[in-house]
Amino acid sequence: MSPDRQALQHEVTLIELVDRVLNKGVVLSGDIMLSVAGVDLVYVGLRVLLASVATLEEQKQRAVEGAA
Amino acid sequence: MAALPLREDDVGWYLYGVVANGADAPSAAPVDPRSEVVLLVEGPVGGIASRVSLEEFDEAVLPERLADAEWLEQKIRAHEQVLEEALARGAVVPCRFCTVYRDEEELRRFLAGRADALAAALARVEGRVELGVKAFAARAGRGGEAAQAQSGRAYLEARRREQQEREELARSRADVAARLHERLLAEAHDGVLLDLQSRDVSGRDAEMVFNGAYLVADRGRFDEALTAAERDVDGVELELTGPWPPYNFVPEELGRT
Repeated sequence: MSPDRQALQHEVTLIELVDRVLNKGVVLSGDIMLSVAGVDLVYVGLRVLLASVATLEEQKQRAVEGAA
Repeated sequence: MAALPLREDDVGWYLYGVVANGADAPSAAPVDPRSEVVLLVEGPVGGIASRVSLEEFDEAVLPERLADAEWLEQKIRAHEQVLEEALARGAVVPCRFCTVYRDEEELRRFLAGRADALAAALARVEGRVELGVKAFAARAGRGGEAAQAQSGRAYLEARRREQQEREELARSRADVAARLHERLLAEAHDGVLLDLQSRDVSGRDAEMVFNGAYLVADRGRFDEALTAAERDVDGVELELTGPWPPYNFVPEELGRT
């Protein structure tokens, strides 16, 4: 696997991970808790990460084009 | 900041997930590196937990933290690492990111109060893992005819044709997704269809036409079904991820029992 492909794989897996860790899993309700990431927070977080992944992709793309 | 020890008046308990009583605590690094992962046992279940600083995990500051991509990725990966280690040893019910209790007593009270529901959730995933399957198809390259039309009538005809092609494509993709789901479900204990990811998110040129998660006991048979499905369903490339802790196969909410 080339380094680029590996980096892409890494990011793809991160998306999968974010999707699961932030959106799925048991939500515990009823007790007083300090913070359960509610839906709003989840989407804030997801948008941030996706934006950062998109930026990474752009940077990689530019690096590839620059090297060619 | 990371060098300072946790202050007693500033800690909460972060709950990663729940395992059966008798399991070992994972040795992976916790979300707060100054702490350590422990197992808090209540009856038949144990909570995988570690102490966290409320400077980082209190409700009031969490939105700000979540807006920090670097922080978020680090914590999400730590959460997953702990759960993956638990998964390698046995059944685990994963909790959603940032489930934090004020103190150990509250966390224990939760575990004791929901012990039956948690034990049932554990029994359901025992000996099984979650696998993710996505299918990608090459993007439809046509279109744009209408924009080049020389007359009003040609334009309308081209528009109608493009509309029909889009509808046919959507139908054929829905059909592909239904067939894939049916075949994979036959070799799994359970399965769910997840939202498709846009190309921005998937980071691929091809278009995602299918996104599913399956609760699987027999990896060999599932892999065979996957290979056969890829062979039989034209024009799609399948991608397998996992094994994951069963995020998609635990009750979404556990209220007080």
